[in-house]
Amino acid sequence: MNDVSANTLSRHIDLDDTDQAIIQLLRKDGRMAYRAIARELDIAENTVRARVRRMEESNTMRVVAVTDTEAAGYGMLLAIGVQVEGRSPEVVAREMAAIPEVFSVNVVVGAQDIEILVVSKDQAALNELITDKLGAIPGVRRLTPALALDVLKNQPDWVPFHAA
Amino acid sequence: MRHKLDEADLAIVERLSLDARVSNREIAERLGVTEGTVRARVKRMEEEKLIRITAVTNIDRFKDAALAYIWIEVERSGQTKAVAEQLAGITELGFVGVMLGRSDILAITMVRNAEHLAEFVHQRISVVEGVRGAHSTLGVNFIKHDYRMARIVS
Repeated sequence: MNDVSANTLSRHIDLDDTDQAIIQLLRKDGRMAYRAIARELDIAENTVRARVRRMEESNTMRVVAVTDTEAAGYGMLLAIGVQVEGRSPEVVAREMAAIPEVFSVNVVVGAQDIEILVVSKDQAALNELITDKLGAIPGVRRLTPALALDVLKNQPDWVPFHAA
Repeated sequence: MRHKLDEADLAIVERLSLDARVSNREIAERLGVTEGTVRARVKRMEEEKLIRITAVTNIDRFKDAALAYIWIEVERSGQTKAVAEQLAGITELGFVGVMLGRSDILAITMVRNAEHLAEFVHQRISVVEGVRGAHSTLGVNFIKHDYRMARIVS
């Protein structure tokens, strides 16, 4: 990743205070009306509209519905560390990312090569996911899972859009 | 046990998970139901915390942003819940979970670099009463995060 091309740099966008304020309001209530946002920030409704559109079109911000995993039938959440051998962690990570139950994938440095977050409906489905799907991916040497007993907070504001 | 989502709910959520700024009328027309039905269902799902409609920002668009996994060990197992509750109050943390295996608590945050991570752990995590130690892993390539799913807890 040493190739700092102009293209790479232009992908980065600077948000000003107004943009940040709009994002903060939309984080609290994604369906807040443009008019209400404008009133709250004391700016014109058209400004709000234009700012939101600019951030959406530049793929900087999205307003989305997040579904509760438990409501969707997934009772279990696990963080699994993955050690890889004989293959590039990036390649293995991309194969893992293709599995719907694997909702977060990060290539990391340290004792593990990849960190993933997965959900599962029950123990049988988890067995299938770990043994038959994840464990069977070429290059996977070892999976080290931890089960979440209680999730106290899960509000990831920072996500990559390209693969979601 | 919370309510599950029925088929009509799922159809609405599917549309909203792509772009939640879409109007109720547009969803209603697409699904062939009334606008009032859409409004009522969205309201109910939000109230029951089955869904949350929120803004997410693209980590790829920001310079020097990496995800850090912080695994925290507590002094005594009986302190786990209290420590996790303290950690959940730290704004910068996007995920806090009490874990079975690997360590006691997992916290996830976004940092600029390894130095920033070390500083964050030292100044914000290690000082929480009951924290015995922490070890962190820094992400170098954020491949996927399906923002459409999360545990909605607050």
